[in-house]
Order: sequence, then C-alpha cells, then structure tokens
Amino acid sequence: MSEKRYKLHPVSAFINFVKGLKELIIPFVVIFGVNIFRDGGVSAMFTGGWIELLPVLIGGVVLLFLLIAGIIKWKRFVYWFEDGELRIEYGLFVKKKRYIPFDRIQSLNYTEGIFHRPFGLVKVKVETAGSGKMGEAEAELTAISREDADRIETEMEAAKRGFREPASAVEHPSEEQAEIPEEKKDARMVYRMNMRSLLILATTSGGIGVVLSAVAVFFSQFSELIPYDAIYEEVMVLWRFGALIVALLVFIGLAIAWVISVILTVLANYQFTIYTDEDHIYITRGLLEKKRVSVPFKRIQGVQVSQNPLRELFGYATVTVESAGGSIGDKDEKIRLFPLVKKKDMIPIVAELFPETNWTPEMTKAPKRSLRFFYRLDFLWMIPLIGVLSYFFFPLGLLSLLIVPIVLALAVWQHRTMGYALIGKQLTMEFRGISKHTFFMMKKRIQAIEVTQSYFQRRKDVASIQATIKSGMLGATARIDHMDRQDGTRILEWYEPSKQKLAAHEKGQPELSG
Amino acid sequence: MDNQPKNQISKKGLRVWRLYGIIQTTVLLLLAVGASILTYYLEGPGWLYGIYAAIPILFGFLFIYLFPKIRWQRWRYEVREQEIELQHGLFIVKRTLVPMVRVQHVDTEQGPILRKYDLAEISISTAATTHTIPALITAEADELRARISVLARVAEDDV
Repeated sequence: MSEKRYKLHPVSAFINFVKGLKELIIPFVVIFGVNIFRDGGVSAMFTGGWIELLPVLIGGVVLLFLLIAGIIKWKRFVYWFEDGELRIEYGLFVKKKRYIPFDRIQSLNYTEGIFHRPFGLVKVKVETAGSGKMGEAEAELTAISREDADRIETEMEAAKRGFREPASAVEHPSEEQAEIPEEKKDARMVYRMNMRSLLILATTSGGIGVVLSAVAVFFSQFSELIPYDAIYEEVMVLWRFGALIVALLVFIGLAIAWVISVILTVLANYQFTIYTDEDHIYITRGLLEKKRVSVPFKRIQGVQVSQNPLRELFGYATVTVESAGGSIGDKDEKIRLFPLVKKKDMIPIVAELFPETNWTPEMTKAPKRSLRFFYRLDFLWMIPLIGVLSYFFFPLGLLSLLIVPIVLALAVWQHRTMGYALIGKQLTMEFRGISKHTFFMMKKRIQAIEVTQSYFQRRKDVASIQATIKSGMLGATARIDHMDRQDGTRILEWYEPSKQKLAAHEKGQPELSG
Repeated sequence: MDNQPKNQISKKGLRVWRLYGIIQTTVLLLLAVGASILTYYLEGPGWLYGIYAAIPILFGFLFIYLFPKIRWQRWRYEVREQEIELQHGLFIVKRTLVPMVRVQHVDTEQGPILRKYDLAEISISTAATTHTIPALITAEADELRARISVLARVAEDDV
C-alpha cells in the first residue's frame, strides 16, 4: 500500500534500554548486595579469579542484551494510518500487528520525560474506550516528534469527521501543516495554577497529617515525663534523653519524608494548566516529566468536588472528573481537574467548561429527626471501648470519654452537610465522612439509583439514597444517608424514564411485565 | 415504600431457600452432636447440652422458616418498557431503579439445586453495576432475558 510508514525516534531505543534496566535493578542489587557482605566485599569479585568474576560477566551480558533488545524493538516498530485506523506493527520473532480504529480512540495522552526534552519528543499513549475486556487495544509510542504526534491527532480528527479518503494525509501535506498551528490556537487556556496554590497543595496534601502527628508524639513524650521527673531523676534523665532522641529522630525522618513529598508534588503539578476546545479538556502539568492528558467531554460521567476540613476552612477544594473507560490500574483514572483551587475561583471556570451544569444548587438537607442515625451506631464501639479503658486505666482512662463529644460533633457536622438537589436533568449530592464531597451528575450518566431503608429508618420514615455512575472500568457511588423518605421517592420518580415520558397518561400505561 | 413493583419471584424460590436453610441447619446440627459427644467424654457441665440443642433450633427457625418467608415476601421486580425496578432485603429494604438504556447485557444462571426445581437466576449488568433476580421459573427467566435484551436495544438514549 502507498501509506507512509512512520518509525519512532531513535531515542526510543535508549529509552527501551533504560526501562529494561529499571526492571532489572532488584536482581542486580541482590547479586551485588550478596557479594558485598562476603569476605573482602565487592573488591573480592575482581581479585578472586574468573569464578568470582562470573556475576560481573553475567551482568555485562545482560546489559548488552538489553541494549540490543532496545535497539531491535525500535527498529521493528512501525506505525501508519490506513482505512481510518492507526496500525502498529512490531516484534522480531513474533510479529504483532495492532489496528486501532480512530473512532475507538478516546484520547491521546502525551508525556515528556527527561530523555524526550532535548529532542522535542513526546511519548504518546493511545487510550481506547475499553469495552470492559482486559488487554483491549491500547498502544504506546515510546518517542515521536511533536509534529508526528500532531499528525496522528489530525488524522484522527479527520477520520472522526468522516473524511476517510485513505491518502488524505499524504496528498495534502502542506494543508496539514497549516492546520496544526490553528488547532493549537483553538484549544484555549482556561486555568493555570499559580505558585501559591501549588505550594499550598504540596504542603497540605496528606503529608501534613504525618507532621502534625509527629509533633503530637513529640509533645506527648515531653509532657508525660514531667510528673515523674522528681522520683526517678537519674534514670529518667537518661530515659528522657533517649526518648527525646528517638522522638527527634522520628520527627526528623517524617519531616524529610514530608519535604520529599512536597518537592515531588511540586514537580508533578508544576504549571498545571487546563486547556479546552470544542470536545476535549486538556490538562498539562509537570516540570521534569511533562504530562498532557486529554479528556473528551463525551466520556465525562460526573464531577466531584472534595474538601478536607483544613482546606474547607480556607475555601480550597479538589475537583476530580469521573471519566468512563481508561485502563485498569491506571493512576490517572480519576482525572484531577483541579488539584487545589479556591472554590470561588473554580466556579466560573467549571461553569465555562460545563455550561449545562448548575454549580451552586440549593440543597435539600436531611430532616432533623435523622440526626440520631449519625451517631447511634457509634455508641456500639464507643461504650465498650470507654468501659474497658476506664476500668483498666482508672483515672487516665476516663479521658477516653472525650471521644464522645468529638464523635457527636462529627455526627452533627455530617448531618448538616448531607443534602441533595434536583435541577432539571442534574442530580447533586453532598455528603461528608470527614472530608466533604459534592457529586455533580447528569441523569443520562447515572447507571442505577438505589433507595434503601433499614427497619429503624422505616420507623422514622427516612431512607438512604445512592446513585452509581461509571468511573474508569468500575463505578463510583455517591450516597446520602438518612434523608426524608419523600426525597427518596422524589429522586426515584425523577430518574424513572417512563414517569417522564408518559407523565400525562401515566395511569393508563399498558401492563408489560410478565 | 409506596407502590411496590408488581411481580413476585416464583413460589418455588421460597422452597429452595428453605432447602438451603435445611442444609445449613443440618451442618450446624452435626457440629452440635459432635460437641455434645465431646462434652460427654470430657465430662463438661450439663447446661452445655441445652445450648447445643438451642442453637440449631433457633437457627433452623430463623433460616428455614422466618428469613426465607420475609425475603420472599419482600422480593419484587418489575420490567417495564423503559426501566427495571427491583425491591429486596431482609432488614434493609433496597429499592433499585435501572433504566433500560443503561442495560448492557443480561445473563441467566442455574446451579444444580435450582435446576432440580426448574429455576434460574437472572443478572442484569450495566456499565457499573450488576443486579440479580434469584429464582425465576426457567422458561420465564429465558423469556425475561430475551425481552430485556430486546427492550435494551430499542430504548434510545434521549435524555
């Protein structure tokens, strides 16, 4: 056929080699590690005759093999466009061909690693709308130039629009070149994370909890020692000194871990930017390894806004997009639209991205009578725990009573947060474990709605409602507990397709069930 | 809750659940007999025999008589042109609504005991969830499966 076959950039060979090396690092460490602990250490390997050199030789052969394998892999890899498909062929002994129809391609995700940067290359991951089977066609082009990546995109767009003349790309190369810059302009920037937000994100993401606990440990160690001080002074001075050292070391260790996590977060989310065009959202981020993820609007199932208490206090939120498809075990399955953003800054942006969604709906809250359900079950574990602690550690154990007001306060808080809103075709649910979550879902994306009522709930006429949407390969569920039963019925009626279609002659509906 | 789904599952389903209950109770009874023998040889206290007797009786009452009855009474389903509605649960009553448009595929399944009673269970899968109706007459289950798959194909996404 006349289709032009494209190869990957030669750097791919080197990247393949490094990748292979990474996988072998553990066996290598084992081989050399064992030798280090032998008499004479590593140097013995080089002085003890050829048998001792064996590990080194094997290591060398393996390295050579990896290098050759990397080169062959690159040599044999070709891709081209034909019949509205992206076709890939690779393999030395076993030739593998993979044909991916363009209209099945969901998104092209770009990554720029440190080896890609100097040559202006990208790694392209082709994600397809997985039909639920593992190992569904999904391809990775290790390193291609930006222009080549753009060419795939234009080919894909052309195929999706229905222009399937097989040779279009080859026949009008000049037109294509003209199209690329245009397309770049099309995708306009809607948000760029500033340094301030990035730093707040890095310092408050999980790591802070570790640090706080470390500080707590530190101080508890310190203060508990004071009353005993006079009694066992000599022993205690030593012990306190030891404890202090341990606490300090733990604290320093955690602090280092925290600093590392801060740096990693900053590197990964550096210049976090959202672009959008007619049918995609593009997210680019990263300093050393630049990543670009694209999400088609069509695949977006719902949007979740989460706020942990600390961030809620300062009006910050995390926004994730639930997208259908993608690959199993992919970390980016839940795509973070905003890792961290001021809620008031976020609303105009999401309103622009999703104009049909109401982002500040009036919530219907849980009824007053349902408050008891939020703490009642907690007493099941609290009472025995407090009992045991108070009995065995008599005076100090009574302190455990303090968890009662904490749990009650949390229950009140959860009860206050719980709520939902039905506006047009949109269902919004808001609930709290400790962090507050708000799910924005459109009716056509909800897979099933369940209303449950336990015996106790029935007596108080309340019910729990849950809605499931598709997220990645699985589902994501939003659940609001202990709402008024009327609300459950209302949501079910809103969701029921025939209720809205035949609303007028609902009662005269023909009986269909057997 | 108000207006329940119309159809109940087969009365034979109740019998199958009772049978499951009988099997479980028998296992428990054997364990109790074993424990009694052990207690006899080890000369344990007499009140233990009372407990050994009480547990299988209580268990049998609950799992052979009471729970299957409640479960069976509560199990309702209704397959309409646009949606499937299910209701089930022993202590917690669950009401599920699945629109036809969301249905991806339907399976029927039959184990040895179900086959003996000419019953089958039917599973309805959406992209994210699976819902099962237990114990339908096989012919009915097959027909239902065929109907759901036709309806699921017809129902168009116009929301």
